[in-house]
Amino acid sequence: MNGNRERQEGDDRERRRIKSTAAMRDLMLKYYMEAKAAEGTEKKIAWITSGGPVEPLICFDVIPVYPENHGAMCGAAHMNVELCEVAEGMGFSRDLCSYARGDIGSAVTKGGPIGGLPRPDFLVCCNNICNTVLKWYEELSRFFGVPLYIYDTPFVRGPLPDHTRDFAVRQMEEYIAFLERMTGKEFDEHRFLDVAVKSFAAISLWAQILSCNTARPAPMTCFDAFILMAPIVTLRGTQEVVDFYEGLLREMRQRVEEGIGILPAERRRLLWDNIPIWYEMRNLGRLFMELETCLVADTYTNAWTFEGVDPERPLQSMAEAYTEVYLNINLERMSDRQVSLAEKFQVDGMVMHSNRSCKPYSLGQYDLAREFTRRTGLPVLIIEADHTDSRWYHRTEVEGRIRDFVENLL
Amino acid sequence: MEEELVNQCVRLWEEPLSHMARIREQGGRPVAYFCSYAPEEILHAAGLTPVRLLGSMRTITHADAHLQAYCCSVARTDLDMALAGELSFLEGAVFVQTCDTMMRLSDIWRRNTGFPFHGDLVLPVRMGEEISLPFMVREVGRFRRQVEEYLGSRLEDEALWESIRVYNRNRALAEEVYRLRSENPGLVDGLSAAAVLTAGFWMRKEEHNALLERFLEAAREGVPEGEPAAVQLLVTGSVCTTPDLYRLLRELGADVVDDDLCSGHRYFDCPVEDEGSPEEALAARLWRRVNCPSKHQSLEDRATRLVTQVKESGAEGVIFYLQSFCEPHLFDVPYLKRKLQEEAGVPSLVLETELQSFSRGQLRTRLQAFIETIAGV
Repeated sequence: MNGNRERQEGDDRERRRIKSTAAMRDLMLKYYMEAKAAEGTEKKIAWITSGGPVEPLICFDVIPVYPENHGAMCGAAHMNVELCEVAEGMGFSRDLCSYARGDIGSAVTKGGPIGGLPRPDFLVCCNNICNTVLKWYEELSRFFGVPLYIYDTPFVRGPLPDHTRDFAVRQMEEYIAFLERMTGKEFDEHRFLDVAVKSFAAISLWAQILSCNTARPAPMTCFDAFILMAPIVTLRGTQEVVDFYEGLLREMRQRVEEGIGILPAERRRLLWDNIPIWYEMRNLGRLFMELETCLVADTYTNAWTFEGVDPERPLQSMAEAYTEVYLNINLERMSDRQVSLAEKFQVDGMVMHSNRSCKPYSLGQYDLAREFTRRTGLPVLIIEADHTDSRWYHRTEVEGRIRDFVENLL
Repeated sequence: MEEELVNQCVRLWEEPLSHMARIREQGGRPVAYFCSYAPEEILHAAGLTPVRLLGSMRTITHADAHLQAYCCSVARTDLDMALAGELSFLEGAVFVQTCDTMMRLSDIWRRNTGFPFHGDLVLPVRMGEEISLPFMVREVGRFRRQVEEYLGSRLEDEALWESIRVYNRNRALAEEVYRLRSENPGLVDGLSAAAVLTAGFWMRKEEHNALLERFLEAAREGVPEGEPAAVQLLVTGSVCTTPDLYRLLRELGADVVDDDLCSGHRYFDCPVEDEGSPEEALAARLWRRVNCPSKHQSLEDRATRLVTQVKESGAEGVIFYLQSFCEPHLFDVPYLKRKLQEEAGVPSLVLETELQSFSRGQLRTRLQAFIETIAGV
C-alpha cells in the first residue's frame, strides 16, 4: 500500500515538474562556458548591470556578463557570504549591497560555483536600478583597469519629461559610438533592428508566460520565474532565447489546459515584492507548498516585461523603456503596478521582502504596504532579509511570521 | 567680539530648530533642504528662506513606520522631526536626487507631511561631461517654473542674478574663512571656522554675509592665542550634525585644518559664473562643482582632490566621518584610504555614526588612539 502511495506521489511530482527548466540550465551553462572560454581571446566581454541596455552589446557580438546574475547564483549556492567576507576584509562595509561585496570578493579570489566571471574588456553601468551600481562599477573599473560606460537614467516622477527622454536618446547614440570604439566594428543598423525585434519578441513571450499564472491552479510560482528569468535578463536579443521562451510558453499553456498546478494543492495566492532571498529559495518554497499557498506573481520578474520597444524607432523607444523601469519611478507609480498585479493575478495578499541590500527597492515599502491594503483591502506581510547575505536572515522568525500570516488569510 | 560671535554660532548649531521657527515668526518663509546641490538661489530669489536640515540627535518615534533601520540616520531623524510636528514652521522642502535614500525619502515625505510646498530636483550622475549639461539646464529651468507656479508669479531674471550675487559673495567669504584658518590656525581654529559657516544654513545669506565679514575683520585683527593644536587633521564625509567632533578634537589636542564635507568645503566650492541665462549659470555650477560621491566625474576625481587638499593644508591625518549605511561614501573608503596612504603618506580613521545612538565616549576613545599614533606618543 505504502509503496503504491509513494509511487503515486512520485508520479504526481513528476507531472507537476516544469520540464523546460532543463533546457534553461543547458542554455545558461552553454552561455557561461562560452563566456569563460572567450576570456583572453579576440571576443569582447562586457560586464553589465541587470537593468542595462544589453541589445547593443548583442548587436556588436560582445558577450554580456551579469555580476548580479552571478551574485544570485553564488547566493543560491550558499557561497556568497565567504565572498562578501573577502570584500569586508578589504575595507568594504558590511552594510553595502551583498551583490557588490560578493562580486568584488569573487573578482579578487575567482571564487564561487563557476570559479569567478571572465575578465571584462569594458563595463556598462546603468543606474536605472540603483545608485549602488555606480559605485560598484567605479570600483570594478579601477580594479580591472578597463573603460566604464555609464548609461545615466535620471529618476522619473510622474510622466517621462522631455529633457530626460532627450538625454536618454543622446546617450543611446553615444553608447553605440562607445561600442564602435571598443570593438573596432561599425554599427550595423539592420543587425540592430534584428536584435531589437528578437529582444521584443522574447520580452513579449516572457510577459505571456507570466500571465499564464492567472490560471487556477497556477502552473508555476514566482520562485520558478526567478530561475527561468535568467535568459531574459542576460541574453535577450538572441534567437536562442526566443526559442527557449517559445518552448516554455507552450509548456505553460499546456499545463493550464490540463489543470496542472505547480503545488499539489493551491488554497491561497500571494504577490511577492523585491529580489528573491536567493539562499533560502528551497526552504521557503517547501514552506509555501506545505501551506498550500502559491506565490503567483511578483514585482521583480515583471520588471522585465516593459513595453514600448518599438521596431519603428528602436533606439528611441529602448531609451525610454530603460529609463522608466520599475525601480526608477515614484512610489505612486510603483503602487499602481502592485495593485494591477494583485488584480490581474487575483491574489489574497502580498509578501514584501525588506531587503537590506537594496534601498531603492525597499525604502518606501512601509508606505507601499499601507497603500496596497487601502486600495485592495488585502493584507501585507513584510519580512526582513538580504538577497545574498544570509547572516542577516533569521529563519525561525521569518518562517513563523509567514505561517501566522497565511493562516490568518482565511 | 570674535569669541562671542563664534559662541553664538555654536549655540545656533546646537539648537537650529528654535532659530528656524523664529524666522517664521518674524515673517520669513523657511523652506527646508538637505543637500548641498539644492538650487538655493532660486528659493532665495522667490523670497523664501532656504534652511538646511542636517539630522538631529534623538530617539526615533515616528519615522520607523516609514523607513527601515538600515537607512542613514540623517534621513531617519529629519523625517522623524517632520512627522513629530517639530518642523511646523516650514513652508515646504526641496529634495535633490543624490543617493537612493534621498530619492525615496522625497516621496515618503510628500505623502506623509502636509507642507504647502514640495520641490524636487533630479540630477544626472554624470557630472562635468558635455552630454549631461543640457539635461541639467532644463531640469533647473523646470525647478524654477515649479517655484514660479507655487508663487503664482514669475521670477524675474534680475532677481535671480541678484540672489546669485549674494550667494557668490557668501562662497567667497567662506573661502576666505577657510584660507585664514589653514594659513593661520592659531588665529582661527577648526571649530570657529565650521561654526561660523554652519550658522549660515539657518539665516538669509545677506545676514550671513554680514556675519562672516564681522568675523573676518575681528579675526584678522586678533592675535594668535597660544600655539596651534599639535595635530592637524582633515575631515571627509557628509554632514556634521553637531559641533561634537570639533570639540572632541580640541580636547584631544588636535584640530581640523580643512575638510571635504557637504556641510563644509563642498557646500561653497565653485562660484556661479556669469554665463547665459540664470538657469544655465546655476546648472553649470552644480555640474562643475566638486562631486558628492553619489555622482561621477571621473574615476579618480575624489582621490586626486583629497590628496591635493591634504598636501596643501598640511594635514597629518584624515578622518572619514560617515553616516552608517551611507553607500556612496562607504564604497569609496577602501580606495581613498589606500590613495591617502600611498600618495599623501597620511593615515586615516573611519568613524561611522548614527544620530539616534550617538556615543561620544566611543568616538573619543577611537580619536584619541588615532591622534596618539600620529603624534607619536
